[in-house]
Amino acid sequence: MEEKVDYANLYYPPGGILIWILIFLELVTFGAALVGLVVSSRDNPAEYHHSRMLLNTYYGTLNTLFLLTGGYFMAQAVQSAKKTLYRQAGKNTMFAIISGLLFILLKGFEYYEKIEHGLTLGYNTFFNFYWLLTGFHVIHVIVGLVILAFMYRSLTKPGANPDILNIEAGAHFWHMVDLIWLLLFPTLYLIL
Amino acid sequence: MPMKLTNKTTIVFLYILTLLSSLVSIYLYGWKGFAVLILLLSGIKFLLVTFQFMEMKKAHSFWKSMIFLYLGLYITIVSFVLLFF
Repeated sequence: MEEKVDYANLYYPPGGILIWILIFLELVTFGAALVGLVVSSRDNPAEYHHSRMLLNTYYGTLNTLFLLTGGYFMAQAVQSAKKTLYRQAGKNTMFAIISGLLFILLKGFEYYEKIEHGLTLGYNTFFNFYWLLTGFHVIHVIVGLVILAFMYRSLTKPGANPDILNIEAGAHFWHMVDLIWLLLFPTLYLIL
Repeated sequence: MPMKLTNKTTIVFLYILTLLSSLVSIYLYGWKGFAVLILLLSGIKFLLVTFQFMEMKKAHSFWKSMIFLYLGLYITIVSFVLLFF
């Protein structure tokens, strides 16, 4: 049985109105910081370009693929949960968690390389932006993973009957992490 | 008959667009419009995630407009700064 919610109602967007307020607040905050980075780069474009070239585009691309894959599995998990196929939803949530862990693992490796080369916070303005933006993003990924772990538990426990709005809201938090990265990756790794 | 966008077809498009963005950044660097092209490709990915994965295609037009407004503003401001400053 599929649960029916009138998403066309202004007050009931998919995931609920509160998660969408949070999503827009986060997008505006990260967006403003990214615009700040671009504006700041105009003071010294050569230094920013040189610093940007020290970032590993392959890691960034691979991490984008990990996050998008996690997003796909979460979208599938929500669809399964709506059909009350909770075990299937739990399995998809687990795949999303694995994608997130792979993201963290690769990010950790990238951070390790940067620290080894002395490209730490304070190295120059570009790397200050790099550490702050990616650091805050990683914190969001970790919080997202904790939410997904709780979701997995609620979907797979015996006699599971989770509230679909909670499942959607949790999945939306994970998608928000994706959306932030979709702006952060090109701006920081590709265009300067 | 037009192809129906499912989660599976969406993820394939997202993979292709991601790889395309990285290739553009490598091979078209130096061309004046390359940054705008990359931002537009990312904008398409953003819309695919919001409208398909987050099901905002079913939402009230207010929410859809807010997404377009945010994305449009971001791409316009960043492109403007990069092209004219």
